[in-house]
Amino acid sequence: MAPSKGKNSNEPCIIPGGFTVLSLQFKTDSTSCHSVFVKEHRVRAEKNASRPLDRTLFAINIPPYCSEEVVRELFSQFGPIQSVELKERPGGTESTESKLSKYFTPASKEGFRVGYIVFKNSSSVTAAKSHSSDQPLVVSTEQKPVKTGLQKWIDQYSDSLIQKDKLQAAVDKFMEEYDKQKEEMEQKKKEEEQQQEEDGDGWVKVTRGGRGGKARPHSEAANQKALQRENKKRKRKELLNFYTWQHRNTQREHIAELRRKFEEDKQRIAVLRAQRKFRPY
Amino acid sequence: MKKPSEQSEFELEKEMGMDEEEISHSEEEGGVEGEAPKGTKRSMKQGASEDGVLRPVKLSRGELYKPPTAEELNQLKEAESLFHCSLLKMQMEELLKEVSLSERRKRLVDSFVQKVTELLQGVPHTEEVELSDQSWLPKDVKIPFLLVPKATKGKFHMAPPAAISLVGSYPLGTCTKPRVFVDLAVTIPSDVLHPKDALNQRYPRKRALYLAGLAQHLSTFPDIGTMCYSCLHGNRLRPLLLLTPPAGKDSGSLTLRLHACPPPGFFKPSRFHPQRNNVRTAWYTGLTAAETADVNEPPTPHYNSTLLGDLLPRVHLQFLSAVSTQCASFKDGVALLKVWLRQRELDQGSGCFSGFVASMLVAYLLSTHRVSNTMTAYQLLRNCLHFLASTDLTENGITLARSPDSTAPSLSEFHSAFQVVFVDPSGHLNLCADMTGNTYKQVQHEAALSLQFWDDPTLDGFQALLMTPKPLIRTCDHLFQLCSLVKLQSSCKKLNLLSELMDHSGNYILTVLPFILSLLQRGLGERVRLLAHSLSPDPEWPVNSVPPKHKDQPPLSFGLLLNPEFAASVLEKGPPADSPKALEFRQLWGSRSELRRFQDGAITEAVLWGGTTACERRLVPREITTHLLQLHADIPESCVRYTGGLLDDVIKMGREANSTGEEESLKVVQSYDDLSRKLWRLEGLPLSVTAVQGAHPSLRYSQVFPPVPLKLDYSFFEREKTTRALVPKEGKPCPTYITPVKVICHMEGSGKWPHDQLAIRHIKAAFHIRLGELLNQQHRYTCHATPTHLDVYKDGLVFRVQVAYHREPQVLRESFSPEGMLCYRDNPEAQKLELETLHRPFLTSTLHGLQQQHAAFGGVCRLAKRWLGAQLFSTDMNEDTADLLVASLFLQTAPFTPPGSPQVGLLRFLHLLSTFDWKNSPLVVNLNGQLTGDAKPTFPLLPPTAADYIEIKNDFIASRETLPVLFIATPKDKKLSIWTQEGPSVQMLQRLVMVAAESLRVLEAQLMDPSQEQDYRVALRPPLDAYDVLIHLQPKQVPLLAQAVDPPHINFTRGSMPGSVASAGGALPVIDFDPVSLYLAELRGAFGELALFFCDPYGGTVIAVLWKPPAFSPLPFKTSQMNARTVEVTGEEVRTVPNVEAILEDFRIMGEGLVKSIEARTERWVV
Repeated sequence: MAPSKGKNSNEPCIIPGGFTVLSLQFKTDSTSCHSVFVKEHRVRAEKNASRPLDRTLFAINIPPYCSEEVVRELFSQFGPIQSVELKERPGGTESTESKLSKYFTPASKEGFRVGYIVFKNSSSVTAAKSHSSDQPLVVSTEQKPVKTGLQKWIDQYSDSLIQKDKLQAAVDKFMEEYDKQKEEMEQKKKEEEQQQEEDGDGWVKVTRGGRGGKARPHSEAANQKALQRENKKRKRKELLNFYTWQHRNTQREHIAELRRKFEEDKQRIAVLRAQRKFRPY
Repeated sequence: MKKPSEQSEFELEKEMGMDEEEISHSEEEGGVEGEAPKGTKRSMKQGASEDGVLRPVKLSRGELYKPPTAEELNQLKEAESLFHCSLLKMQMEELLKEVSLSERRKRLVDSFVQKVTELLQGVPHTEEVELSDQSWLPKDVKIPFLLVPKATKGKFHMAPPAAISLVGSYPLGTCTKPRVFVDLAVTIPSDVLHPKDALNQRYPRKRALYLAGLAQHLSTFPDIGTMCYSCLHGNRLRPLLLLTPPAGKDSGSLTLRLHACPPPGFFKPSRFHPQRNNVRTAWYTGLTAAETADVNEPPTPHYNSTLLGDLLPRVHLQFLSAVSTQCASFKDGVALLKVWLRQRELDQGSGCFSGFVASMLVAYLLSTHRVSNTMTAYQLLRNCLHFLASTDLTENGITLARSPDSTAPSLSEFHSAFQVVFVDPSGHLNLCADMTGNTYKQVQHEAALSLQFWDDPTLDGFQALLMTPKPLIRTCDHLFQLCSLVKLQSSCKKLNLLSELMDHSGNYILTVLPFILSLLQRGLGERVRLLAHSLSPDPEWPVNSVPPKHKDQPPLSFGLLLNPEFAASVLEKGPPADSPKALEFRQLWGSRSELRRFQDGAITEAVLWGGTTACERRLVPREITTHLLQLHADIPESCVRYTGGLLDDVIKMGREANSTGEEESLKVVQSYDDLSRKLWRLEGLPLSVTAVQGAHPSLRYSQVFPPVPLKLDYSFFEREKTTRALVPKEGKPCPTYITPVKVICHMEGSGKWPHDQLAIRHIKAAFHIRLGELLNQQHRYTCHATPTHLDVYKDGLVFRVQVAYHREPQVLRESFSPEGMLCYRDNPEAQKLELETLHRPFLTSTLHGLQQQHAAFGGVCRLAKRWLGAQLFSTDMNEDTADLLVASLFLQTAPFTPPGSPQVGLLRFLHLLSTFDWKNSPLVVNLNGQLTGDAKPTFPLLPPTAADYIEIKNDFIASRETLPVLFIATPKDKKLSIWTQEGPSVQMLQRLVMVAAESLRVLEAQLMDPSQEQDYRVALRPPLDAYDVLIHLQPKQVPLLAQAVDPPHINFTRGSMPGSVASAGGALPVIDFDPVSLYLAELRGAFGELALFFCDPYGGTVIAVLWKPPAFSPLPFKTSQMNARTVEVTGEEVRTVPNVEAILEDFRIMGEGLVKSIEARTERWVV
């Protein structure tokens, strides 16, 4: 099934679409390989400083046990690497919230991922693309074993034992910043309010921003509540069963209600009959 | 009220004759004219019934508000006033259509009867022989009679019948499907009989011989399909010859029953007075007259009524036909009653409440004017049930005889001879002669229960009462069977029942039954609400073999409906030692009765039963049963097959333990209560605690294996350097799994809480740290704080405390529209948080309350979840859903009573899963009884309806497509079914339904059929052949191995030691470390698009993998869909397929150390 079948063993395997197929195995004695598809990174609309077009290699289908370090190790044979970015699906970079401490960043989902590998030299990209699929990349080597399974979970468990004071420190740091931010906001608001007050000469500066907190609460729930209040008021004024036509209407409504129910029941019976639900045994 | 309306109806109909036609015509025209919208609606409505999904009904204004016709008005009115709704009326009509005989079938019956009658006319005469000489019968026809004692006097010869006529339900029109029995009475000519034949079984033997003669004659004709013997309601004195038409299309369900009868009036009915003797002791015992001369001949009421019954079928038919012609809906009413009886397995077998008794009952109600002739079938049924529920025929018998002749016995005479009394129109025969008092009590109980359900507007009474079968095993909490019936012979001796045995002509089972029943009733007393027993079915045997012996009958089953208050009490307190009743008590209990002194100073007789745990105490009724049967009836324990707690084994903790977790759960709850008190009282928190709520199954007694305090062997673990917490050691077996018990701790709302989600999360983390510090300082608990929770190690258990702020979900929902308006938009994150901090604690406390009301609730939950786990459904149906389903069994019990033992609960759970119409109906679980509807009927004229239920149903139908396939509505959650949002999927639900039905079948067979080797665990072993790959795991690394369905022998330690646990202090244990679930999570994360992974969370050592078919069809190359796939290039086209070999290798790599072997079972997609 390998697409390179029958070709010269040292030639890279390039499939239609421009991707080069690199094979990847976990250990040297593994019997089967994953196919990692690589291509130079090329996007029309994106201009991203972290992914320079000429030096970035785009790789898909990277197995779950390959962390960023492992990928860096794997691709360093093609040249020195500047950065590695692994993502769940291809797409633009998000502004990573690097501010958050590691305790508060949500754990990334494990699975197959795509990678953006930024080399230091653009020649490395070509080197990677012309790598033969018959020489598989090896994830776990004697020198640098990759832990999986039980060992990994035990490590994970001991990592999850957080020291209380470190956590406290992280919290304190965040809250400090948050408070500072909030204070600034307050300050700003106050300034705005001050501007709206009369100055010494009795002049008021009129701005677009409205009248601050004094206006009607500008939220959806409040709007709806107001609407309901109106409706209620209107309803209270109405008289029911006063005129003959109103009385007649109620009766008509009653019959209509019965009819509607009758139709519903008929339909239900039809459905049940279709399912042979009337056979008692 | 009723009368005038009816009159007017009649007149109006006359008047409207014309108009009606016109209207219907014009209606049709309208349809043909075909306004576009109407036409499409029609087709849509049809479509609805085709694919079997209900859709909201839309009627156009024109259809809704057109002027009503008088007939329509009447119909609507009738439906409104007589039934709950028109639905019930239509359901009844459909049901009646389903059970009544079609015209075609009737023609078939008529022609077959005609043919048989002709054949019977040609029976030849034979020579007169001695009654005991049966040599004239050919070898291949045997007499359908157990000849005990062998000989009796009299002469016999065959002769053509004097008359042949249809009797019973068929000519009356009350015959119902599915098994159509047509009764044909063949009158034996009077010269064959002798007036003294009533004595000593002479007549019954002649009758049997006559049937044998008929069988011999008929066997020569090809017009008869099959022929076999049976007997009427299990009465061996009344054999029957069953004939079916020759095999052909639809002959299967038609059976002709030939009764042989004496000519009318041949015997004097006064001979059969219940006080008279017709079987002489001398003859029966074979002793000489001299030896028995001093014995008073005992009365033989059952024998007498048997003979009398043969004399009267024609009279009864005439009587019933007369009644039936007066009341138009008599037939339908009887048919409904028969369906009702049949669903309760009460209408067949010896001593049954047969269809004949049912029609007599309706006739009685009509003749005493308790119901009127103009009532509908539904009303007849209701009134019958009402009558049954309110009248005790064991105390106050009823009679149909208007003016009995002077020789007829009085009611009190009947009562002294029979347990249940219902006298026929002649005044001589008790129609319920063979019925035991307990059977009647069961009928009464069922009737009362049914009425109660019918009056409840919140449930579909029709479905519950007429469509749901109620076999004994699913009805009763405990069940036991008497297996080797031959042992009952010795009980007859022990109980000294010779004259009764004579009365029952040697049928020792029926003889002993009432005595056993009364014995058990006395012994069990208040512990049971109802002691029911199965009715032994009518045997059938071919004409060429001798009749089966009594002992060859299927075993007798007894069902116990427990009274939860008293059933499990270990003490049976008797009368004071000096009271005269003490002797009686001692006699009943034998050596088990002891004198005991109680704390209040009383010294009384008492019996103390063993049992320290709830699981043992549940089986106290078993001890009582076996003890009493052994003591008084000589029935050894080995013959009693008691199935009350057989399934408890799978939820027992460990191998030798005899507890099913009730005690352990209680300990967890107590420890939690203590923790919650301590949390409340903590000093030094910046904000106070407003609520502490449990959010874990073990806090509502429904955790399959509740956590147990463990003493840890520290040398088994590594230590983390700074925190000194324990860490699993590599190379050792996986340490014991410690379940964190989740507790939600709500903090006071305050202006100090930030209004930003990130900040709230940080503040919560700070609270976790602070709580941990305080708990450690003030109570010395070992704590471990993380951003999301705080683990507290207490009493050997781990509680996972999670701080919650009630406004957080709201903050998560906030968003600003482009105009700057603040609006709230639901999102999964907020829903998840709300589920965890709001709904789950609420559910936990509600179900905790349910457990307090119904002691069996926890047990049923645990069994049900154990089953779900074992059948690999745990990931599709989460614990909360399963608990809710079980809760519905307790809250919506119709047609049963709340389950009283885990076993019956599991059976009903499986039944619910497999039969509920998930597609078209929401399952409403009325927690706390908060859904009531009576408050506001839509119109004052309408009867009270369950407004909440209707609202739920309408919402459900209106948005069926977007709702989860398994929809559960609760008072707090009427529209969304929050617990089943994640699953199961359609396919999994389908499979679940299938597996549940199969498990139910297997389990019931296991429990009911003693011939099968008992291995009820079969129902908990999943079929693995459907899966593509099996991943076998290292048993040592599966921490919950001991909970497996078939627990292996474990000879290694997991780091825990026996011994008591300190309530505080100690190193933090390894919490929530389960390699199997970690592995599963990784597998699902990596290969979730390609395959489904199944595993039993309770000690399963196999992970079953099922490839998803759509993922395996080749796809075009797409950068976003390349996970674990490889490419195939053909020319310019690139197709991708999963790289199966590499995936299988990945299974091994990712589960390094846990995976033992990988077995690819199907070759389907293996490259």
